[in-house]
Amino acid sequence: MQRIHNEKSINLTLSLIYGIVILFIMAELTPAFTLVLAALCLWNFILTLMNKSKPGALLANILAGLCLVLLLYDIGFSDSVTLFVAMLILSSLFKLLQAKSKKHYQTIVLLSFFSLSTVYLFSQSIIATLSVSALYVLNFAALALIEAKHNLKIASKQSLKMLFIALPVAVFLLLFLPKLPAFWQLPGPKLAKTGLSESVNPFDIAKLSNSDELVFRAKLATANPPSAPYYWRAIIHDEFDGSTWLVSDLLKSQQRKQSTSTTNTASDTQYSIIAEPSAKPWLFGLNKAYSTNRNVKTTEQGLLIRKRYLSNNINYQVKSTALDNSQLTKLQRYQNTKLTDAQQNNLRSQQLAFDLFKKNDTDRAFFSALTEYFANQGFSYTLTPEPMTSQDTIDEFMFSNKRGFCGHYASAAAFMFRAVGIPARVVSGYLGGELNEKDDYLSVYQYDAHAWVEVHIADEGWQIFDATAVVSPERLNGSLSQMQSLNNEFTNNLEFSLLRFNQIPGFNWLRLNLENLDYKWTNWVLGFDQQKQSSLLKALFGNNQLWKISLFVILTVIGIFIVYFIYLNWPKKSAESEHRLAQDFMNIANWCDKNGLNHADNLTPQQYLRQASEHFPEKKSYLLQFAQLYSDVRYKGDEFTEQRKKHSHDLVKLIKAKTKRIL
Amino acid sequence: MHATVTEIIDDLSLVIFGKQTQIKLALTCLFSQGHLLIEDLPGMGKTTLSHALASVLGLSYQRVQFTSDLLPSDILGASIFNSNEHTFTFHKGPVFSQVVLADEINRAGPKTQSALLEAMEEKQVSMDGDIYPLPSPFFVIATQNPLFQSGTYPLPESQLDRFMMRISLGFPPKEAERKLILGDNNRDYDALPKRINPTQLINIQDEIAKLTLSAPVVDYIIELVTYTRDSSIFANPLSPRASIALAKAAQAWAFIDGRDFVTPDDVQAVFKSVTAHRLAIDEQTSELQIKQLLNAVAVPL
Repeated sequence: MQRIHNEKSINLTLSLIYGIVILFIMAELTPAFTLVLAALCLWNFILTLMNKSKPGALLANILAGLCLVLLLYDIGFSDSVTLFVAMLILSSLFKLLQAKSKKHYQTIVLLSFFSLSTVYLFSQSIIATLSVSALYVLNFAALALIEAKHNLKIASKQSLKMLFIALPVAVFLLLFLPKLPAFWQLPGPKLAKTGLSESVNPFDIAKLSNSDELVFRAKLATANPPSAPYYWRAIIHDEFDGSTWLVSDLLKSQQRKQSTSTTNTASDTQYSIIAEPSAKPWLFGLNKAYSTNRNVKTTEQGLLIRKRYLSNNINYQVKSTALDNSQLTKLQRYQNTKLTDAQQNNLRSQQLAFDLFKKNDTDRAFFSALTEYFANQGFSYTLTPEPMTSQDTIDEFMFSNKRGFCGHYASAAAFMFRAVGIPARVVSGYLGGELNEKDDYLSVYQYDAHAWVEVHIADEGWQIFDATAVVSPERLNGSLSQMQSLNNEFTNNLEFSLLRFNQIPGFNWLRLNLENLDYKWTNWVLGFDQQKQSSLLKALFGNNQLWKISLFVILTVIGIFIVYFIYLNWPKKSAESEHRLAQDFMNIANWCDKNGLNHADNLTPQQYLRQASEHFPEKKSYLLQFAQLYSDVRYKGDEFTEQRKKHSHDLVKLIKAKTKRIL
Repeated sequence: MHATVTEIIDDLSLVIFGKQTQIKLALTCLFSQGHLLIEDLPGMGKTTLSHALASVLGLSYQRVQFTSDLLPSDILGASIFNSNEHTFTFHKGPVFSQVVLADEINRAGPKTQSALLEAMEEKQVSMDGDIYPLPSPFFVIATQNPLFQSGTYPLPESQLDRFMMRISLGFPPKEAERKLILGDNNRDYDALPKRINPTQLINIQDEIAKLTLSAPVVDYIIELVTYTRDSSIFANPLSPRASIALAKAAQAWAFIDGRDFVTPDDVQAVFKSVTAHRLAIDEQTSELQIKQLLNAVAVPL
């Protein structure tokens, strides 16, 4: 068995790498299993730190068996990706706990390359990418340490250099490697995170849990961008069962069809959306949206739906027109006014609606009256409403409680519209977004989730009725995170996030800039798909010039290899002689070399310069002056002042200058 | 101080003709507190040089002619019974002087050689449980005949290492030899002017130790010794003791040259004398081999 010089630092480095990988995939694992992994990691770290021997094979095997049982029990077979990732990391950690010989460590370092890459299955953000790249550096350093005797610092420096050298190849591959469809595709994320759901029942929620997870970003086109307020529609709920708004089977079947009407008018607003990966089908658009992206389906209601669940971002162009203003068919009218069983409850609200409708006999007038009602009857917006449990939740909200968030208002308003026979539906989606002025895009987070009502008014078509906006008008512009009045409530409800520190000015600046960086990364690197690639290639080489592309790729590959070859074989000496004077000396020596005096490096500089002064008598005085200067600075220890620097520079110039031929 | 050194060299040149380099090397060795080994054929002036050196530096001087039956006590001294006082008194041997000329050191047996070399290393003699320090400064100038001569006991490598330098005088140039034949040289070296006293010598030694040894020079020394270690040409590569000796000798050489800093040229000048015997290179072939070695190592800039 070969001894390893740096066993301690290799162990510490690998433990650190695995520790950080565990941090990254923690969200995908259960807490219990995360704890087990972290404990294994820490165990190895502490054993190494205290110079204790690693556990015996029997103990480790028993533990590994137990952990495997826990793994299968805890994660199960339903999510095969997470299962296999967890298994890989678990086995690597046990291997690390057992590692003694060189071969063991080589295996583990190799495994870590895979373990590190699994982070990308769950997150491709710029922070994840940078962290994983840093860990790659450490892993390469650990690999180097297995063979070498030098320390971690030197090894890291070298591996960092190596990765930088490899960077041009990576960029080249990204730009020019044909983006073939994968032979097998990873299933999309399985875990449903916070966010929208098909059923809206606000009344049993005591605390609206907010997440600062990014949902999508919208890049507003320079020509004809949409204007605020931004109601990003995602789901239409057209069925009310007395407490919950649902998506009816009828609507679901309507949405199965792809919309055929692609009316393209000049007034259409334009924008593109980069949606984060999600297990939910719905995508986002303003008003009646349509997209020609082949991964996106447009429904007749102007909603956008995913065709495929991918583990990476989806980037699509959208155009929006105003909501439908055509007359409703009978079926549609029925679909949007049906209350069925719900009519037996919430009688007071129904009565209120009737009274209001009696006073204002048109749909439009009722619309305004209801708006006014919400504005004047002491309603307030809160993120922490009291749960309402009675049969008549809407009555309770409308008459006694009067405090709620968007869901309450949307639910109550839609109910009242329907009560008087005006078609109405609850729409959920997102409102607003954080505008980045530098690059003119909106970031929409989970906490921007919103629900509002769409009302069909005769002759006018579908109109947005947002009672929340009436109660709390500032909610219309910008993002929830920017609302001053709700700040305390908002941050208290938020899961841990940088937003908590929003009040500190530097922090907000940092957060926004990180956000912008991530946007650029998402837009330019992750979003560089087949479409963008082919348009880039077209721009570079013109249409149908396949041979040009191939030639270019081959030449570039050859070019890169030539550059690497030259770099690797470049004489190291010039890099080593860091002293300016030594460089000047080499300069003179090269000049002498060219002019017929071969440089022998076994001569001392003094001997060489003396020899040169005999060979070039016309330069004798300069050469001897340089020799004196060299000896003073390099050997006597005189300071290499600016004056001497200049002197040396001048001497080199004089020596290299062409001598006038004496005729 | 440098003027004195020049005078010393001039004085010695009157005794040994045409051997300026060897004289300078010998002085280099003594100035850097090292012992000197002079290897040459009989009759080349080894003894003359060493005797003249001791005399011109104003040091006490003893000569021991080594023979195959010489015993350690013949050099170190012996305890002799004093019948009047009924005690043993230590009678110091010839080693108790500032310059010991060990003539033809390889004619004596290993036991005697070892006794001297031990004294050289320790700078003291221990006898019958008592320790007797040797005078300071203390130099051993040993001469030896080339090993192919009959009746010699070669010094082992470990003991050769104790000598800082090995030099050989070589045949004199024709012009010098002509003068020798005509008896023009100064044969009375006891009559040479004593240019310095032992205190001044110690001052010179201190001054030399302070000479600037810049990084490129140290690098060069390291490159040279590393080459002997890595090239696998040499069975006995140079030890760190050799590197230190090389640096000290280069300093002394620079001092004799009148400079207060060391250059790679100084290292090259003393390199052969300091390293050839440590690398087990015969004096006869050393010139060529050392030249090859120096050619193979690039001088750091």
